[in-house]
Amino acid sequence: MTETVVMDRASASRRRYFPSAFGGLTFAGFAICLTALPLAVSLTGYQLNLLMQAATYAIAVFGLVVVLGYAGQINLAQAAFFGLGAYCVALGTTDFGLGFWLSLLLAVCVAAFAGAVLGLASLRLGGHYLAMVTISFQTILSLTLNNWISLTHGPDGVRGIQRPAILNDSRYFLAFCLAVLFTAGFGVYRLKRRRLGRAMQAVRDNEIAAAVSGIDTFATKVFAFTLSAALGGLGGGLFAGGFTYISPDQFTFAESVVFLTMALLGGVTSAFGAAFGTGLLILLPEWLRFLKVVYLAVYGAAVVLIMVFLPDGLWGIVTWAKRRLISEPPVDRQSIAPLPLTRQAACSAGQALLEVKSLSKHFGGLKAVDEVNLSVRQNSVHALIGPNGSGKTTMLNVLSGLYRPMGGSIVFDGGTITNAPPHTRTRLGIARTFQNIRLFPAMSVLDNVMVGAEQSGDLFSSARAVRNHAFSALEFVGLAERAYRDIGSLSYGHQRLVEIARALAGNPKLILFDEPGAGLNHGEKDRLVELLKQLKDRGLTVLIIDHDMAMVEQVAERITVLNFGRHIADGASRDVLRNPDVIAAYLGEVRSDAA
Amino acid sequence: MALQLLFTGLGVGSIYALVALGFVLIFRATNAVNFAQGDFAMLGAFAMVVLAVDLELPYGLSIALALIAVMLFGALFNLTVYYPLRHRGLLPVIISTIGASILMQNGMLAAYGPQPQTLPGILSTPGIMVGSVFLDSQYLIILCITALLVVLQYFFFEYTLLGKKMQATSQDKEMASLLGIPVAWMIMLTFIYSAFLGGLAGILVGPILFVSVGMGSAISLKAFAATIVGGFGNVIGAIVGGLTLGIVETFGAAYISVPYKDAFAFLVLLIFLMIKPEGIFGEKIAEKA
Amino acid sequence: MLLELDSVTAAYGRVLALKGLSLTVNDGEIVTLLGANGAGKSTVLRTISGLMTPQSGQVRWAGASIGGMKPGVIAGLSIAHVPERRRIFPGLTVRENILLGGSNLKGVSRAELEADVEKNFAIFPEIKPFENALGWTLSGGQQQMVAVARGLMARPKLLLLDEPSLGLAPLIVQQVYRVISGIREQGTTVLLVEQNAQMALSVADRGYVLETGTIVAEGLPSQLLDTDEIRAAYLGGRAKPN
Repeated sequence: MTETVVMDRASASRRRYFPSAFGGLTFAGFAICLTALPLAVSLTGYQLNLLMQAATYAIAVFGLVVVLGYAGQINLAQAAFFGLGAYCVALGTTDFGLGFWLSLLLAVCVAAFAGAVLGLASLRLGGHYLAMVTISFQTILSLTLNNWISLTHGPDGVRGIQRPAILNDSRYFLAFCLAVLFTAGFGVYRLKRRRLGRAMQAVRDNEIAAAVSGIDTFATKVFAFTLSAALGGLGGGLFAGGFTYISPDQFTFAESVVFLTMALLGGVTSAFGAAFGTGLLILLPEWLRFLKVVYLAVYGAAVVLIMVFLPDGLWGIVTWAKRRLISEPPVDRQSIAPLPLTRQAACSAGQALLEVKSLSKHFGGLKAVDEVNLSVRQNSVHALIGPNGSGKTTMLNVLSGLYRPMGGSIVFDGGTITNAPPHTRTRLGIARTFQNIRLFPAMSVLDNVMVGAEQSGDLFSSARAVRNHAFSALEFVGLAERAYRDIGSLSYGHQRLVEIARALAGNPKLILFDEPGAGLNHGEKDRLVELLKQLKDRGLTVLIIDHDMAMVEQVAERITVLNFGRHIADGASRDVLRNPDVIAAYLGEVRSDAA
Repeated sequence: MALQLLFTGLGVGSIYALVALGFVLIFRATNAVNFAQGDFAMLGAFAMVVLAVDLELPYGLSIALALIAVMLFGALFNLTVYYPLRHRGLLPVIISTIGASILMQNGMLAAYGPQPQTLPGILSTPGIMVGSVFLDSQYLIILCITALLVVLQYFFFEYTLLGKKMQATSQDKEMASLLGIPVAWMIMLTFIYSAFLGGLAGILVGPILFVSVGMGSAISLKAFAATIVGGFGNVIGAIVGGLTLGIVETFGAAYISVPYKDAFAFLVLLIFLMIKPEGIFGEKIAEKA
Repeated sequence: MLLELDSVTAAYGRVLALKGLSLTVNDGEIVTLLGANGAGKSTVLRTISGLMTPQSGQVRWAGASIGGMKPGVIAGLSIAHVPERRRIFPGLTVRENILLGGSNLKGVSRAELEADVEKNFAIFPEIKPFENALGWTLSGGQQQMVAVARGLMARPKLLLLDEPSLGLAPLIVQQVYRVISGIREQGTTVLLVEQNAQMALSVADRGYVLETGTIVAEGLPSQLLDTDEIRAAYLGGRAKPN
């Protein structure tokens, strides 16, 4: 079977972590041939320029693949980073006499720095806020390039940009650009299948789930943004060297739109697609350039049309075909090792693993959680029950770090975590599932669980070890055979199990289950009860919220009852369930007499 | 001097506020941000140039026809740029409206050419002196009309059933359709009215600035900045934000630097985004995890 | 026969949710649809209310075919759908939410609508104190009341209720079900989807049991409750706690 090097999540997770020898060699061969092309074939100056533009633009577009395609964050200032890089090289080699290589390094660093600052300042917001920040930055930069004449030469631009001596011949410079292109492209392609790439995609698909899976979502987004800016700066620096003259009007918002269009047309989640889109939009419609005004109008229309009709870009057609034609590989269940749940709590069984004191969380005037105490013993199954609106889910959100408490303290295994962010808690050993299942829909089942495994703070010796661990977790919940499936093709009950597998893959000490039985049928609930009992047998501690009293009775040793945000009872299951206050407030009549 | 600048700033700010109102409307009804909002202003201004200057129609008639033209365009815009993408989430819509903006500007450039045009003001009297301050008549009209529209729009959303239906549509389209609210019409009305607001802003500001294809962009971004400063999605916030930005920009240009005038709006925006992203009046509806 | 589904097939993308399903609802009845999660119960309601289009088969309302019509049109036929998980408009007040329930009514003045709102507050007195509270601040039980009140505003001939007990405490569930059984007296027919079969069968006249998109059992509540296998597999709650 030929393994073509194509971006597709099913095949991606099926592939080993080093591209197959055949695919890798094919790519390397192709890259070397194309890089040598300018030297071997004689090209006109015009053709050289065209290829130069395509190559440098594609590098910048790779940046968009990372920040927008992988991490899902919008960046409308790629032309600004491109321009920063270009001006660094331009001014560096002319006014400041730094030489090309140093200037190029400066280009990447300055662009990256700008990206980092911008990202740090604005990535806590998202969506249109981020769009506005990037446009603002773009606008301010354009204004500065045009008006700070003493530094940038203003609208006249910078001439006579120096190339390094060995690359002075345009053909050699182009070959160099192509070499950088292939290297950068390969890097971006590989990134998708690595831990960081998966983390970015998780943030894109479901940021809250990513946070509780152990991903520092803010840091991930900032990194993606910085990398994107750096690639933009790299492309810009090479652009300046290639054309030896630059001016501010090459780096305006319109150019950012052009970059965006190239990424979208090709397929923004794919390095290959993006390069393809760039090439297509530069090399093919060259004749449009003679009609300068229409050229831009066509770009505008193209953006709209692509968004409407081709959301995955042209490369999406390739991946769609691939998914149709190539089936998933079989899973060898015999070779899966049993799931090691190895993290030892510092405290011993019977002591409190999780100690919550006087915890409060208010929303405006609503006291969702009001001075609640909760003590969960190591290696126990503890239930948190209460009527709807009693504050159970809010409590769980505070415990997992999604909400900040207004008062009180949370101590986990001897350490205070009251204000710790979600990913820190996960790495300390707390995992959780959600009432409304939160999975990463664009990744396969296996990828979802791998995220849980590799972000938990456990160190794995290799990528293969992560994968095996994920398989173990899937086998534990009984879904190993479906490892390569899309999330969308699983039933609700199975999706619930994938979420549990993801939580288990992180090797937690404590798992918080938020209504795990919701939406499950009877048989599925039985299985869940079995699973919970198995977890306890393995030494885990469980805190569960649910409404199904029969199920709670079966698994929980201790129960805490909330009502209107306050705890009204706490103790051994049988005692709590007989407590008249509890019965009065919540249980009512177990058998229905509604009419 | 300061009072004069204040008056001018309020005038400029009113234009931003008008366009910002259009933003907020579309956002409240569709949860989409229309980056081409300012280009409706550009279209309105150009329509006036064609009608009142080229065809020499009476001014009042020109205004009416120009507004109708822009409203029709707003309907077309909805059908081609937003509606097909309405289920796809934030990013595709943002990108699509940006594409549409580029298309509109360059389309107009191809149709009319790059020369900036001039538009005569509504009143023939240039203005009145009040104390040491010269109140330009066009600015006065801008302020009055903006104030009127603000009040009307507020009442519309807070007290009319249609306003509530539009809000319901923005909060949960599917549920709104289940209740029998004609969701597609709500959205269409929103775009038409927002286009009206944008076109009106262009008609009002045309006589003050030159009418050029790029005029919409600058207004767009600043109006959007205004909504963030005021509190995104908030009607009063859009007004206050617009006025604030207009004042900051005018004072900045006078006291600090003219070439960087446009940068001030963005600097204010960046500061707000970093320090108080919910804006002056922002309300946040909590996302329950 | 008020509502009839005749061999209806419906799918989410490639996944078939309903496979040739047939059922009827007669005027004035409370009929319940039971079954496990994923059996297709909600899909039945969505197909009736127009959120989904049947791939094949007929959905007939008072004899006329309505399959494939838009939700707005179907709401105009006096069919009200109270969906799963309430879906109260979070940024509108309780009063406004309920008021909008009458959006399908033609030729009704605002004053009449407001009067209807008061009537609904009389049915659900527990939510009257919250009439100016924003939807997102309410608890699940309060939201359920508002959702049903909003559904009743439409003066429906057929009320489609999707899992009204989901996520609610037993006491609240009983309150809601008390209202449901009283709805019949207003001349409204009810099609009730539930996982908790005990509750549902306690108010229903007839029931259907669904499994992966087809009907596997139907009959009177007593008939459905008495079958061991059905009780074990589909009827929620265990026979005896351990």
